[in-house]
Amino acid sequence: MKITFLPYFIRQAMANIFNNRLVHLIGVGTMAIAFLIFDAFILIFLNLNYWSEERGKLLTMSVYFREEPERIVLEDIEKELLYFPGVTIKGFISKDDAMESLRRQLGNKAGLLDGLRENPLPASLEIILSRDKGGNSLPYQLKTRLEGIDIVDEVQYSEEWIERFQAIMEAVKIIGMVLGGLLFLAALFIITNTIKLTIYSRRDEIEILKLVGATNRFVKIPFLIEGSIQGFLGGSVALVILFLIYMIFITRVDLIIGFASLDIIFLPAQFIYFLLLMSIIVGFVGSTISLGRFFRV
Amino acid sequence: MIQLFHVYKAFGSNNPALIDVSLTVRKGEFVFITGPSGAGKTTLLKIIFCAERATSGQALVNGRNLNRIQDRELAYLRREIGVVFQDFKLLPRRNVFENVALALEITGFPLSVIRKRVHQTLRYLGLANKEGYYPPQLSGGEQQRVALARAIINNPLILLADEPTGNLDPDLTMEIMALLREIHTRGTMVIVATHSQELLRDTRRRIVTLNKGRIV
Repeated sequence: MKITFLPYFIRQAMANIFNNRLVHLIGVGTMAIAFLIFDAFILIFLNLNYWSEERGKLLTMSVYFREEPERIVLEDIEKELLYFPGVTIKGFISKDDAMESLRRQLGNKAGLLDGLRENPLPASLEIILSRDKGGNSLPYQLKTRLEGIDIVDEVQYSEEWIERFQAIMEAVKIIGMVLGGLLFLAALFIITNTIKLTIYSRRDEIEILKLVGATNRFVKIPFLIEGSIQGFLGGSVALVILFLIYMIFITRVDLIIGFASLDIIFLPAQFIYFLLLMSIIVGFVGSTISLGRFFRV
Repeated sequence: MIQLFHVYKAFGSNNPALIDVSLTVRKGEFVFITGPSGAGKTTLLKIIFCAERATSGQALVNGRNLNRIQDRELAYLRREIGVVFQDFKLLPRRNVFENVALALEITGFPLSVIRKRVHQTLRYLGLANKEGYYPPQLSGGEQQRVALARAIINNPLILLADEPTGNLDPDLTMEIMALLREIHTRGTMVIVATHSQELLRDTRRRIVTLNKGRIV
């Protein structure tokens, strides 16, 4: 490509977008919807993965007491627990603290608790176990040891749940890759057809350019630039919509599912760059595929 | 130089558009191709600038065999051939300047050179004050001249004009023909396809007559 052509190509691509703004707008809108579905899928998948990883690293164990333990008894238990490697005491939660915490979690539904005559929640000691230091048998050893103490009612830990969750996540990863691939192909299909619409509306122009002696590359490049710009705009619109949906969701999540403690992350910067780059590539590839059939003059 | 050897062109199962056409047009010649509507005049021109390929036979233009020409080479060949189409083939969303500049832009001329040459050519064809107009805003004669401007701006070796006076009144017809003659005097080969007997009266130019696809 001669460098002298570059300003022409860019000028032409911009002029074409402006002159065919309605067709382009439809194209960008269609692309945005296709990308939005794909981006939303990535976001959900990313959050599932994030939760499984975060919860997989550390294990929390709750030691529930039959009654509020005396200070000295509690200190003895804590001292003993700290002999085990990888154990951190997160804190003691008294019956009153537990009630307060529940009230906070319930938010404006906390009124439901006013009907209780006495506090049914047990006092508990929260422990964090590090998988790296303590090894895999630590939770079981601790549970056996702690359940031997009179004052301890029950010991619960999240391992079983995590194991099940991780098995599900492995399956989700495979399904995710297949589904993501299919969604990507569907997006490419929709986008290719949308671009075909843009190009079809200008087939006379392609014919004339070719008849006056333009090379295929000369005719194609402005279309490829247009397709890439269209892809970038579609991808950006999709991300903006996704972010707005995300913002609405996280601010209302307590109303929707009843708890405010769910930790939902948005796409990290490198994912945003990747998705934008991908949308440009999809626009470019879509244009290349669509242009093929218009070059038989 | 244009050389056609036993060119045959058929579109599907319809009657062939060209049958066994052999023709040689030398550098700098002025030739009329005539015949009634449907005789194959437009098809013959299309074969020459390779908008259609011969079903059989050989076509050579400026030494290039059109049966075997590659896409890229075809683009370069078309820059040596200016074509005035029967329906003008102007881009309705580009103004007169942009339509004419198109033929130079594809060759990579800098914008300053393009501007200068487009101004000169439009002035030469009496369209200096129409630069900013869009084709639908122009009369038939003006559109014809814009198409002619685009065809000659590259100083092509060959100029093909398909019914260049088809929609014009007698005065404009004379004007366009005078322009074609003038372009020819610069050394350009000119081939004019026309069904108008008026144009051929008193001419001393070579006339090739087609009838039902054959040269008669």
